[in-house]
Amino acid sequence: MLPLLVLVSLFSFAIIQLMPGDYLTRARLDPQIKQETLNALARRYGLDKPFMTRYLAWVKGILTRGDFGTSFETRQPVFFTLFLGSRLQWTLVVSISTMIITWLFAIPLGIYSATHQYKASDHGLTFFGFLGLSIPNFFFALVVLWLLVAVFKVGNYGLGIGGLFDNRFIAAPWSLAKIGNLLWHIWPAWLVIGTSGMAGLLRYMRGSLLDTLSLQYVQTARAKGLSEHIVVYKHAVRNAINPLISMLGMTLPNLVAGSLVTAIVLNLPTVERAFWSALQMQDEYVIMGGLLFFSLFLLLGNLLADILLAWVDPRIRYN
Amino acid sequence: MKKLVLITASLLVVFSACAVALAQGYETMPEDALIIPLGVEGTLYDFLEPGLRGGTMYISTIGDPKKWNHTTSKETSTTLYTSQMMAGLTNQNPVNGAIEPELAKSWDISDDGLVITFHLRRGIMWSDGTLFGADDVLFTFNDLIYNEDVDTSSRDNIQLPDDTFPVVEKVDDHTVKVTLSMTFRPILTQIGVGIMPKHKLAQYVHKLNPDVPVGTFNETWGLDTDPAELCGLGPFIVESYEPDQQVVMRRNPYHYRYDANGTQLPYIDKYVILTVASQDVSLLKFRNGELDVFGCRPADVPILKAEEAAKDITVMVARDKPVLGTTWITVNQDVGLADGTRENLRNLFRNRKFRIALCHAMDKETMINNLVNGLAVPQWSPVSLLSPFYAGRDYYGGPITETNAVIFEYDLDKAASLLDEIGIIDRNGDGWRDFEDGTTVEMEFNTNVGNTVREGAILIIVDDLNKIGLKAIANPIDFNTLVTKLLSADYDFVYLGLTGGTEPNSGGNVYRPCGTLHAWHYSACEEPYEVEKRIDELLDAGVATLDNDKAFEAYKEYQITLAGEDLGLLYTFNNAYTYVYYNYVGNAQVASPLGSPSSFYGLTWDLVFKKG
Repeated sequence: MLPLLVLVSLFSFAIIQLMPGDYLTRARLDPQIKQETLNALARRYGLDKPFMTRYLAWVKGILTRGDFGTSFETRQPVFFTLFLGSRLQWTLVVSISTMIITWLFAIPLGIYSATHQYKASDHGLTFFGFLGLSIPNFFFALVVLWLLVAVFKVGNYGLGIGGLFDNRFIAAPWSLAKIGNLLWHIWPAWLVIGTSGMAGLLRYMRGSLLDTLSLQYVQTARAKGLSEHIVVYKHAVRNAINPLISMLGMTLPNLVAGSLVTAIVLNLPTVERAFWSALQMQDEYVIMGGLLFFSLFLLLGNLLADILLAWVDPRIRYN
Repeated sequence: MKKLVLITASLLVVFSACAVALAQGYETMPEDALIIPLGVEGTLYDFLEPGLRGGTMYISTIGDPKKWNHTTSKETSTTLYTSQMMAGLTNQNPVNGAIEPELAKSWDISDDGLVITFHLRRGIMWSDGTLFGADDVLFTFNDLIYNEDVDTSSRDNIQLPDDTFPVVEKVDDHTVKVTLSMTFRPILTQIGVGIMPKHKLAQYVHKLNPDVPVGTFNETWGLDTDPAELCGLGPFIVESYEPDQQVVMRRNPYHYRYDANGTQLPYIDKYVILTVASQDVSLLKFRNGELDVFGCRPADVPILKAEEAAKDITVMVARDKPVLGTTWITVNQDVGLADGTRENLRNLFRNRKFRIALCHAMDKETMINNLVNGLAVPQWSPVSLLSPFYAGRDYYGGPITETNAVIFEYDLDKAASLLDEIGIIDRNGDGWRDFEDGTTVEMEFNTNVGNTVREGAILIIVDDLNKIGLKAIANPIDFNTLVTKLLSADYDFVYLGLTGGTEPNSGGNVYRPCGTLHAWHYSACEEPYEVEKRIDELLDAGVATLDNDKAFEAYKEYQITLAGEDLGLLYTFNNAYTYVYYNYVGNAQVASPLGSPSSFYGLTWDLVFKKG
């Protein structure tokens, strides 16, 4: 796990260097800033040093002081900048709740699709699944917001759009009304991010279950005279779901990194937005911090999937 | 008995709460308060009205603040907040752009113009109730701005052309003397930087407190600071911050501005800035009633105009107030110089007639109509239309007549005949014009990808050039790549914009032959053309006199020379100032680009109020 992170960091650092310009590029276009000032800033930020020197200094800082660097922009530690306020908490809330909702819908629909293979309802589900997959998230998110404002005119009912709360709730202490308001604001995120992940999951579930249903032990179960319900849910689905659980490991980081665009359009206060702004400004240590954070999420997702797999399938054991 | 004790106790609690509330702010209006004569006949403010106290206003902005430290802040997403918290000795009037007394109630200038004595307002306090005085001014200049350990762009702004700094000295607690080594007319503008509280910040400056490491001040008042620690003299102070959600600012109970009725400004109690990630969301939020004022884009205007009556909103389109700054095409007169290639093209680009032909091929009207819904004005001068030095005026601060304007009308025939005249003609019958040696003239226009207006503009130009037989292509590229190409003179044409103000001297870094942004002719630093030498002299002349009329004469010639002779940057158009507000917002009509950046959306937020 650790060597992987080191490799990720080295490659990311190199790729950031390949990006044209640096953090000071924008400042160079400001007629008010003199060349000497820019040079002094480059020295202060270490931008005048070669790539390897900076990378090694950065690694040394982590190893000796646990210091992941300082943001050029905020002059504060990298993770302070990335996780400022409740960004980490909201990232987890949005991504985990979206994942749960996606699975809650996709698995039963996938089962339904498999058991109703080639029927109109199967085709219908596939169609809507792929529709969700193919609409770009940023566009779908904008359309949802536009519908709320221009067609349903939710403002007339005192409801806000975008973000996680109405203006009056942002700084208010927690209450039932605030939770209700959170639900009102979070469902577009579920809808937009959820629909894009649903199609894949639904098709996997359908395919995997169809494979299982054609196996001999399922025929045996049927021959034993078990009800179709028990055959499908108790015998087939439990086996068919294994590959999906391995997929879970990959969906988790996708939810974090893949919801970047949605987070921007829907104005969600998540880590992705801080990462996005760092990318735009080429605030390189913050970018590095963000990449490490997302890699960690990937590794955690895989770990979680392994544990879940062992739990749902008693045959799997890690020795 | 118990009851009586209880009542007394609760009364005491109530009274002490009141006492605390009363201690917040001045008991009576300070003698030196700054009176803004809202609605008073015969003043600049007669078109506004005295407002009502109370209420909260919501606006939105793109991007989050990076810190709360005004001195070290670099970009508008931070200064938007810090400039509300701070105030300077002088300020630019948002209505007419004149420099006015702010923290200084008046000043005297010596006959030679080298010594300026500022008389500070007495009895005004920082937002935490500490008295403001000359020590704060000295601290800001001598310990922060002139301190090499402090990252601040103010240092470059205030440096005089001879590379010295104005010497700031204390005469007494309410008097500050500023001594210059040379006459420098814009000093009253440049001296207006935000004054910082010495009693709060001196402990973080290594020079004053050797116990803290060098550079500590650059991290001071970062986002990790408890907002209760912040204090300032400006109208609003940051109260709370939720990342990616909002910044709440509260009124400064000790602000020194009052209206003519003796009501302390600002009128509104709170001012909430929602931080959003895209302008599209802001537009929807405004239409949904979540924002009170919105700085809309030209593209948003038709949608909002259609809702004007139904929503009781006003869409302001101020064509007479274009946004500050310039947009232009630059022709690289040093193309291929570094590696000794493309001599043909370089000679062509250096030919003034060729650049005039380009000007005649620029269809500014079509650009404005097609790209920004007609909400822009053609630009010809580097100096803003709003500046009293704009050469379209007849005298300093006079009305705009455009009698001196250098305007190259859109005329493709004229452009084509100019090309013929300089020998750029089709020599092999393939439809494209060629150099004398028979090779085709080929050139590329770059701008930053993703900026649809700029992308559209270069397409229009390229299309017109193709029509007259010039083989040009449009190629939008990544912003940082573009800037790198521009600043290393590795391009043919770049379409881009620069920020600017109303003071022509601020363009020195661009238009002086040795300026770091003289990106169309860097070699001018060693071998300036005559016209470039003249521009340098005129920029010197513009600051070396305290007489605005004399400075106007210099700047008028400067603008006419740049636009008509030098033709380094070929200006395109400047967006009209557009914004929209709900009609319950009082005094919203004061908004102007002149109000920024010390205010937001050009609105002077301490004058805005909520109508009953």
